[in-house]
Amino acid sequence: MSYFFQLVASGIVVGSIYALSALGFVLIYKSSRVLNIAHGQIIAAGAFITYALTVWVGIPIYISFLMSMIITFFLAMSVERVFLRRLIGEPIISVIMVTIGLMSILDGVIYMTPFGAENFSFPEFLPKTPISVGGVSISWTQLVGVIITLILIAGFTWFFKRSTLGISMRAVSDDQMASMSIGISIPKVFGLAWATAGFSAAAAGGIIGNITGLNFDTLRAFGIIVFPVVILGGLDSVFGAVVAGIIMGLIQQFAAGYLDGNWGLSGTADLLPYIILLIILLFKPHGLFGIHEIERV
Amino acid sequence: MSQNRWLATGNFFTSYREEQRIFLTNLDRLVFICFLVVLFVWPFFLEVGNKYMLVIDTILISIVAIYGLNLLTGFAGLISIGHAAFVGVGAYTVASFARVLGDSHVLITHAWPLMILLAGGVGAVVGAIVGLPAMRLKHLYLVIATLSFQMIFQWTINFMSFFNQGQTISIGRVFWFTGKIVRKQHYFFWYYVILVIVVILGLAVRNLLRTRYGRCLVAVRDNDRAADAMGMHPGLTKVYAFALSGFFAGIAGALHAYLFRGAGFESFTLHQSISYLAMAIVGGLGTLVGSFFGPAAIIMLDLQVENLAEFVKIVFSAALDLATALRPLTFGLVIVLFLIFEPRGIANWWRIVRSYFKLWPFRY
Repeated sequence: MSYFFQLVASGIVVGSIYALSALGFVLIYKSSRVLNIAHGQIIAAGAFITYALTVWVGIPIYISFLMSMIITFFLAMSVERVFLRRLIGEPIISVIMVTIGLMSILDGVIYMTPFGAENFSFPEFLPKTPISVGGVSISWTQLVGVIITLILIAGFTWFFKRSTLGISMRAVSDDQMASMSIGISIPKVFGLAWATAGFSAAAAGGIIGNITGLNFDTLRAFGIIVFPVVILGGLDSVFGAVVAGIIMGLIQQFAAGYLDGNWGLSGTADLLPYIILLIILLFKPHGLFGIHEIERV
Repeated sequence: MSQNRWLATGNFFTSYREEQRIFLTNLDRLVFICFLVVLFVWPFFLEVGNKYMLVIDTILISIVAIYGLNLLTGFAGLISIGHAAFVGVGAYTVASFARVLGDSHVLITHAWPLMILLAGGVGAVVGAIVGLPAMRLKHLYLVIATLSFQMIFQWTINFMSFFNQGQTISIGRVFWFTGKIVRKQHYFFWYYVILVIVVILGLAVRNLLRTRYGRCLVAVRDNDRAADAMGMHPGLTKVYAFALSGFFAGIAGALHAYLFRGAGFESFTLHQSISYLAMAIVGGLGTLVGSFFGPAAIIMLDLQVENLAEFVKIVFSAALDLATALRPLTFGLVIVLFLIFEPRGIANWWRIVRSYFKLWPFRY
């Protein structure tokens, strides 16, 4: 039984990180209807910037974590400004293809840095002994990661519900024409959506980097696992992303814990999310919490 | 009105039938036939090394794959970032026969045209299954479906012992009427096979696009509600587009497996999918000539990038491995720059050049 609870605990840890990664993705989709295929690369960039600031520059890790979030904020904003601003008004299909191109470009840029080929790990800054409660053990990095994730998710939720900028972002996602007519600048909102997505992606990257170590492939994979998460939660629902992230984390941990090794299976944790994705697309395309406004053909 | 059958100065169509002709003038037809003859004859006069023949063969195979992607992305308006996986389905169809029957079984070495067709069929079925969500959804979601298919494909190949866990599964040498195709003739032989397939499929695509089954793809892309009102089923049309694209990809995959005499995981990754997409975009989405320009341009570019990386290695003599970095960087840049500055691709330049020569010496 404690094995079960151990899986639940690590599932929640992984899942909350998925939720944080998915948050940025949903933000961009919500405001501009663009599927950002390059999200994993932004997550990786955030993690690498945190590492570079901590180890190479020598800034304390909490401050460099914040700084990397701010740097990625501006990075994502400039990406939007340089590549996507020109495509406002173009068909959405070409905007999505531009993000596919962006993914490739960011891959190339990261391969040029030492991070592309080698693995790094953050210096230990938390106690090494894991906390164990009733046979379930969680490491300090995981615990701190989950706490930061929850704080950030709460912050974002507040931002959307209460702040003027958040409300204008929601307005744009609801009806672009109407929000323009009440004086909301659409390009500014798109830029802001990308910037906040970068901000949350960097946070996710920093946390993942601390838990799993800095490996480009692992970090990049988070940008792809985001798809099953957001489809499960509903593409335009922030709350759905959080819930679906945790569900997906649990599913993966249970798959790894109970399916692998039996019946000659292995690596099912990497497979199941995508099968779930296809099934959901077939039978419940708006996900768990998405708005039922998806246009049927 | 009698018109010049060789040089048209304008459109004088009096029926839709005339407008739908493949060759507008006899001159077009002549140029096309001359071009084909040149394509078939040149290897007898020019000696090229195996290395370059391999590049040419790869370009031709990519052309077959891009026919499919162009039908899907260009004509039906559905993005696919799993095209390499569809190509992989074709390659692994042949490979699984090799795995079960042994790599020199008579089916593989003698009945290879059948195997290639079969691979196309399997590709079509898999394509239709992946496209099934299209029955209910609009195009945005289908990108995700293709991406997840790419992931499922990679998992299947990497973790199943039947597929040799992603290691190369070898395929035996094929036989022609003259006997076994030996190493020296291999690329030469496959050049002709693939060229014939490219020509047949090219004509097939061109023909398809002037029948109702091809034009309904464009109709659904442009306005699915209007298409619905005209009596087409948008969902079924999209599934059908996926099946078509899977068919072309499957054939390309089988050819790939035969040409490289094996199927290995590394030719069908997400990166390959993106470079297929780059080929389709650079060539020009929604044009048939784009399917020829795109693969040629991207594969040439790829070679140049490799040369550049080699050059950098020599000049700086460091353990600097730029090839892995430069390839995604250039592909990404090419995709983005073409989408921003020339969304109609190289096919548009071709159109401009063509109309210049057609109207010469007049400006318009």
